[in-house]
Amino acid sequence: MRIKAILGSACVLLMTSGGLALGAEMSASLLADTCNGCHGPDGTSYGPASPTIAGTNKDYMVETMQAFRDGKRPSTIMQRIAKGYSDDELKLIAEYFAAKPFGRIVDQKTDPALVAKGKEIYDNLCEDCHEKDGRSAEDYPALAGQMMPYIESELRDLISGTRNLENNEALSSKERNKKQRNLKDLVDTHGEEGIAAVINFFGSQK
Amino acid sequence: MTAINRRTFVQLSGATAFAGALGLPHVARAAGGKVVIIGGGPGGATTARYLKLANPDIDVTLIEPNELYHTCFMSNEVLGGERTIEQIQVGYDGLKKIGVNVVHDFATGIDGGAKTVATKGGQSFAFDRCVVAPGIDFNYTHEGITEADAGNVPHAWKAGEQTTILRKQLEAMEDGGLVAIVAPADPFRCPPGPYERASLIAGYLKEHKPKSKVIIIDPKEKFAKQGLFTGAWKKLYGFETDNSLIEWLPFAKVGGISKVDAGTKEIVTDFETFKPAVLNYIPQQTAGKIAMDAGLADEKGWCPVDKQTFESKKVAGVHVIGDAAIATAMPKSGYSANSQGKVTAAAIAAILAGKEPVTPSYVNTCYSIAGKDYGFSVAAVYRYNAEKDVIGGVEGAGGLTPGDASPEQFKREVGYAHSWYNNIRKDSWG
Ligand SMILES: Cc1cc2nc3c(=O)[nH]c(=O)nc-3n(C[C@H](O)[C@H](O)[C@H](O)COP(=O)(O)OP(=O)(O)OC[C@H]3O[C@@H](n4cnc5c(N)ncnc54)[C@H](O)[C@@H]3O)c2cc1C
Ligand code: HEC
Repeated sequence: MRIKAILGSACVLLMTSGGLALGAEMSASLLADTCNGCHGPDGTSYGPASPTIAGTNKDYMVETMQAFRDGKRPSTIMQRIAKGYSDDELKLIAEYFAAKPFGRIVDQKTDPALVAKGKEIYDNLCEDCHEKDGRSAEDYPALAGQMMPYIESELRDLISGTRNLENNEALSSKERNKKQRNLKDLVDTHGEEGIAAVINFFGSQK
Repeated sequence: MTAINRRTFVQLSGATAFAGALGLPHVARAAGGKVVIIGGGPGGATTARYLKLANPDIDVTLIEPNELYHTCFMSNEVLGGERTIEQIQVGYDGLKKIGVNVVHDFATGIDGGAKTVATKGGQSFAFDRCVVAPGIDFNYTHEGITEADAGNVPHAWKAGEQTTILRKQLEAMEDGGLVAIVAPADPFRCPPGPYERASLIAGYLKEHKPKSKVIIIDPKEKFAKQGLFTGAWKKLYGFETDNSLIEWLPFAKVGGISKVDAGTKEIVTDFETFKPAVLNYIPQQTAGKIAMDAGLADEKGWCPVDKQTFESKKVAGVHVIGDAAIATAMPKSGYSANSQGKVTAAAIAAILAGKEPVTPSYVNTCYSIAGKDYGFSVAAVYRYNAEKDVIGGVEGAGGLTPGDASPEQFKREVGYAHSWYNNIRKDSWG
């Protein structure tokens, strides 16, 4: 487990500065606010597909942006955006979004039967890492309330290998193997319905 | 970046200490000032919202004649029938809620010396800083057509009633009819717009009027996202076959337009005469009239600005953003206007607080939808280059969706385009 002390300190900084320290927020915010056009105000998406990036842990966001930038993680557009920022800038941006709450504001359509089945699968296969019904963003990205078409795209890319976990240096080989195993289990044991079920489960979380 | 960090850190500790001594509200009020914004499109609305977010004590007045704004973005989906006109409307309650004073009136003059804005309704508004974001106005250059003809020959380049007129004409047209789009020369609002429009009209024709066709008469020899559009047209609309639903007619093919008859819709070019059933004539453009009247524009009709603060190079204390401004590499788009609004809000908040404007960062992305499950994009990340006085793209960043993208990628980009629309609306108007 990686410790995210820095996240806490970013909150303190923003809280003490309140509405006063214009300059302090603006250097980071001028970089980060450009993302809002696609990811929503303060990084919370109004959907239907683009992900919410608010409340993402700082290290995960920096690593993700670097992976986009270096072509290690596939994307439609993020590799073109991420190339516009240096490591230092990415750190500022990541700190900024880490301090914003992950807003669960879109009422996504879900099927209660699939949600129930998804919860069962989640408890067996996902809970170890994506803790608290997918709400935790302590070490891994929060999935609760994430946009369902986005979860589906990423899940399918992970299953097909288009998004290659071996390229993810942020994960230990143990973590990688576990994730591969559980994804395979999801497909082998539960099939298409299982995929729909976990997506419905995460999408139903408010 | 390190220089900024150091500077802002000093400001932060200073401000916090000051607040401790005097109590928050008093200090906050001292950081206020009066800002008057002209125009409630993405440029003006974003500036208003981000000014209030930066410092709620800045007194922000937004002057905009219409109670409902119609976004041009996604208006091509209204023409194609995928979206209703109501779905591109947005009001100003989100801005009012955070304390923006929204005035439904039309600005008629800006006095840069007295620092006041006058309106058609006879009001006068004093400002410390004024932001002008009026979008575009039209310059009809061909014989036989003027803006007074827009009821019969719509431009639909400002969304709203014009969009509805064009949609109704498409619906009323008989199968086998010809639709002509006359595209403008550079520079104009939304460079990929005419070609997205042709695509979505072709999509409508394919389904409902398959014997019809859309032609684009273009004074240009190339256009934005050309490879991606023609690739999509080949896949979806039989482009370059005998039954193509779309034909692109650049200057090299048909020559220049010598005359347009707004009554009969006849278009005479150097080599051919066309008689479409529906004519969408997109005129040449300039900055919105108020920018011209206030002396903010150059001889070509666009407004030169300082690229760091968007302050006019012609009138001090007045900023110009969005389509009306000359923003070098940034195209005239909703995303550009939104991004410039944030930079301008930050600059004005700093200036009013007696601080140096911070280093800006800008982004533009234009999504285009060419048909069902077929979207693509162009993106750029920009930085301010003081030496060259330009907003320049970061090298290696940005660019187009690859032409050989998979069907799945083109499909995903439609979902992301719709997400962009929802998010930028919220980000601009609250
Ligand atoms: C068909 C089409 C499709 C497009 N698609 C996209 C897209 O997908 N993505 C994208 O990023 N961009 C797109 N655009 C471009 C985008 O619409 C414009 O670039 C954007 O609207 C510019 O914003 P603005 O705030 O500068 O001006 P505008 O949006 O034009 O807003 C100006 C406002 O000022 C008001 N105004 C004017 N004069 C006065 C005055 N004197 N007093 C008070 N108020 C005044 C007007 O009523 C208006 O509300 C598209 C454009 C078109 C035509
Ligand atoms: C033009 C729209 C656009 C802009 C601008 C944009 N993004 Fe994205 N972002 C996307 C899309 C779409 C995805 C999904 C991946 C893809 O296909 O590119 C995404 C994915 C992401 C992800 C992955 C989320 C996850 O947990 O899987 C992160 C992190 C991210 N963006 C951060 C940013 C940051 C930070 C910025 C600003 C510097 C930014 N984005 C600007 C559209 C955008």
